[in-house]
Amino acid sequence: MEHTNVLFSIGPLQVTSTVVSMWAIILVLALLSYLATRNLKEVPGPLQNLAEMAIEKLQSFFADTLGQKHMRKYFPIFATFFIFIVISNYSGLLPGVGHVKGMALPTASLSVTAGLGICAFFTTHVIGIRERGLKHYASSFAKPLYLCFLMLPLNIIEQFVRPMSLALRLYGNMYGEETVTEQLYEIFPIGAPLIMQVLSLLFCLLQAIVFTMLLSIYVSEAVEEEE
Amino acid sequence: MATGTIAIAAALVLALTACATAIAQGITASHAMDAIARQPEAAGGIRGALVISLALMEALTIYGMLVAFMLVGKI
Repeated sequence: MEHTNVLFSIGPLQVTSTVVSMWAIILVLALLSYLATRNLKEVPGPLQNLAEMAIEKLQSFFADTLGQKHMRKYFPIFATFFIFIVISNYSGLLPGVGHVKGMALPTASLSVTAGLGICAFFTTHVIGIRERGLKHYASSFAKPLYLCFLMLPLNIIEQFVRPMSLALRLYGNMYGEETVTEQLYEIFPIGAPLIMQVLSLLFCLLQAIVFTMLLSIYVSEAVEEEE
Repeated sequence: MATGTIAIAAALVLALTACATAIAQGITASHAMDAIARQPEAAGGIRGALVISLALMEALTIYGMLVAFMLVGKI
């Protein structure tokens, strides 16, 4: 939501409901992963089993685009992106989100998704430079060489458009879903918003998949060795 | 500007972008279905490419929707 919902301020920093609900999500995720990995056993308990299954699925998902070697090396950052986005998206389905103070759907705020987009931008380029070296990586933007005066500006613009489109896509989808649900609620409060909420069960997961899949495609492009 | 014009503009932005995106997504999905029917063993890869291309197309509608929201905010 764009209208200011400042709860309190620490010095010059204003803390909004969005930030508070992100803190809550981070706490829940940290607690869950601590509980799941507290005492690892050969025969896993229910929570460890769930965590193992999720990680295995994510590994095979990222291995498809990144390849086994890069996937194992950079798995933590991709999994973090995915888990954070998917939990944030689904948190919008909890009752009271958006109306109660201190609860807001984080990914329906452009600031949050822009932050995620900037993280994705630096992830791509840091991994690209680490894998191929600064000189090699930078020269990959000016290929083919005889067209470099044309390709260089285009490639650089593309690099800056990518995080912007990632951020706008996630924000637009989540904000749009919230707005449509709200409008349906105003038309007919009982039952009508359910249509959109059932759809958003699907879309929340889809948006997280799309964000991380595009990010992994960008990274695989950055690390790819061209002859 | 008159509020009525802005309202019509906002409605048109979303309607036209949604029309074009729906046509494009329909073509994409039907070709993907064809490909899966012809080669069921390649279904996994085709599904991945389908989701990505649908998402890229959907982004255009989302941009249109954002513009529509901005226009509605001006009324």
